[in-house]
Amino acid sequence: MIIGELESEVDDRSGTHTAKPRYEQGVLRGDAQEILNDPLHIVQRQSESASKSRAESPPGGGSEKLMRERSIRTNRRRRFVDCITRDDVDIAQLRKLAWNGVPHELRPLVWPLLLGYLPLPKPTRTSTLARKRREYASLVETTFSRGRDGLDQQIWHQIEIDVPRTRPGVRLWMQASTQRSLERILYVWAIRHPASGYVQGINDLATPFFQVFLGAYIESDPEDFDTAMLPDNVRMAVEADTFWCLSRLLDGIQDNYIAGQPGIHRSVKRMAELVARIDAPLAAHLDAENVEFMQFAFRWMNCLLMREISVQNTIRMWDTYLAEGTDAFSQFHLYVCSAFLVQWSKKLQDMDFQGIIMFLQSLPTQGWGDHEIELLLSEAFVHYSTWHNAQSHFGGR
Amino acid sequence: MAEGSNFDYLFKVVLIGDSGVGKSIPAVLSRFTRNEFNLETKSTIGVEFATRSINVDGKTLKAQIWDTAGQERYRAITAAYYRGAVGALLVYDISKHATYVNVTRWLKELRDHADSNIVIMLVGNKSDLKHLRAVPTEEAKAFAAENGLSFIETSALDASNVESAFQTILTDIYRIVSSKSLEQSDDPIKPTSGDTITVSHSVDAPSNQGGKCC
Repeated sequence: MIIGELESEVDDRSGTHTAKPRYEQGVLRGDAQEILNDPLHIVQRQSESASKSRAESPPGGGSEKLMRERSIRTNRRRRFVDCITRDDVDIAQLRKLAWNGVPHELRPLVWPLLLGYLPLPKPTRTSTLARKRREYASLVETTFSRGRDGLDQQIWHQIEIDVPRTRPGVRLWMQASTQRSLERILYVWAIRHPASGYVQGINDLATPFFQVFLGAYIESDPEDFDTAMLPDNVRMAVEADTFWCLSRLLDGIQDNYIAGQPGIHRSVKRMAELVARIDAPLAAHLDAENVEFMQFAFRWMNCLLMREISVQNTIRMWDTYLAEGTDAFSQFHLYVCSAFLVQWSKKLQDMDFQGIIMFLQSLPTQGWGDHEIELLLSEAFVHYSTWHNAQSHFGGR
Repeated sequence: MAEGSNFDYLFKVVLIGDSGVGKSIPAVLSRFTRNEFNLETKSTIGVEFATRSINVDGKTLKAQIWDTAGQERYRAITAAYYRGAVGALLVYDISKHATYVNVTRWLKELRDHADSNIVIMLVGNKSDLKHLRAVPTEEAKAFAAENGLSFIETSALDASNVESAFQTILTDIYRIVSSKSLEQSDDPIKPTSGDTITVSHSVDAPSNQGGKCC
């Protein structure tokens, strides 16, 4: 793994903080309140810890390859830091950098900038953030002011039964405290978007944001963290930031969730047309076996492949999607889905109907790392560049 | 999946009912091998597929099962899978009365979208939750009889009766199909939209090679 940002920070730290309990409930950072007020603080912290780990690395330790990888990482990080510490962030430059992956410790700042949740000019940032969080807090207060009976029972019921089924088995998501947060996020979003309301699968989409934002305040793995340990204001900030960023993401794909789900139908249809172009033998085989794209790709669109790949993979993928802009979650995504499908072309062409469907709904992608995701994104980009502006090739069939 | 592709009859069966009643678990205990010991499964999105085979009278009956999402929003896509189905397992949760009340709505869904002679089995799931029971067995049994449905209670937790639920509905279907197999020519219902597949009921359904996966 060349761009192994995900592990770097943890590895660097484990040597220096061996006394900290690692697998119990997690560790809140000492500077959590500073980050809460100004997320730019993570950059400062980052440069401190980088120089510290450099100073502590044993002389001559590590292979040349490791040193080179570390230096590539350091360079990339420096370019990011240069970009996001400017008084007015150059969004074009940030997008360009983010396309190839965002260093994991900078995501809590970079994602909101890319989504337009945080303003690009530095001076207005902290006040905007404080205002949005207050706004969310008051939305929650008003929404739940009349207790359970005041809620839309149908929406609430669906959320209530889906929240415990969100990432089952992952400690963070099994905590009551996290589940209450997720319920509030989903319900407040649903009643503010009556055309769609809450649709199953939206719960999955909230989880990457929550984990990324939570990660800013803690030193351990977010997935093992007990959110009951968070100070109230930190928990509410993570919740509010998740809510607003999820809202922005969903704004770009609302058609996926309104009655009849026309956005998904459109994407699946275009995907089928695209696959017919880029892999005609596979398309012909699927057709001959009576496999329809709806039978497997519906979920790929509805949950943005989150049922197929890990959350870590999703987070890396979203770096690129967010860099492309929010319509990437409908447009670029269908190219990613097409590239995702055709990589199993040979295998699929040896299978019959049942084999194909069973294989596609339970893919061997659980062990994927950044490398596989980045390869997928590059392939998708090639198709995108070739076909996206060639609309006349589609729809004529 | 070493199930192979040898079978005498292939039946399409749909699994329907309210969200959260545990449709996915009783249907396909081994659908996701990685979740095998995980009681909490994720919600079904759209439609998911599974198969199950049993033997009756020395014949192998194979069911292609379409497990549908329970949420209203998915109704448009899930209803497309009713066409061509010869059986339906209509699942409710014995501890949640509302899911039983909605059985009437699901029956209407089937009447509107499925074949008129589809075999329907009413399944009261989560019978392990005895202390929380909200739907008396006798009441559901009487309702099933009135509506011409077969009836069973199952527990996904201890797998009790899950097997017999499948055994019963597949056997029922088999009896019906085999009794009129001479008069019923090979006439799979043609899908009109692109959202459905048709499973042939005939004894010589294609058994392609190389169907192994996983």
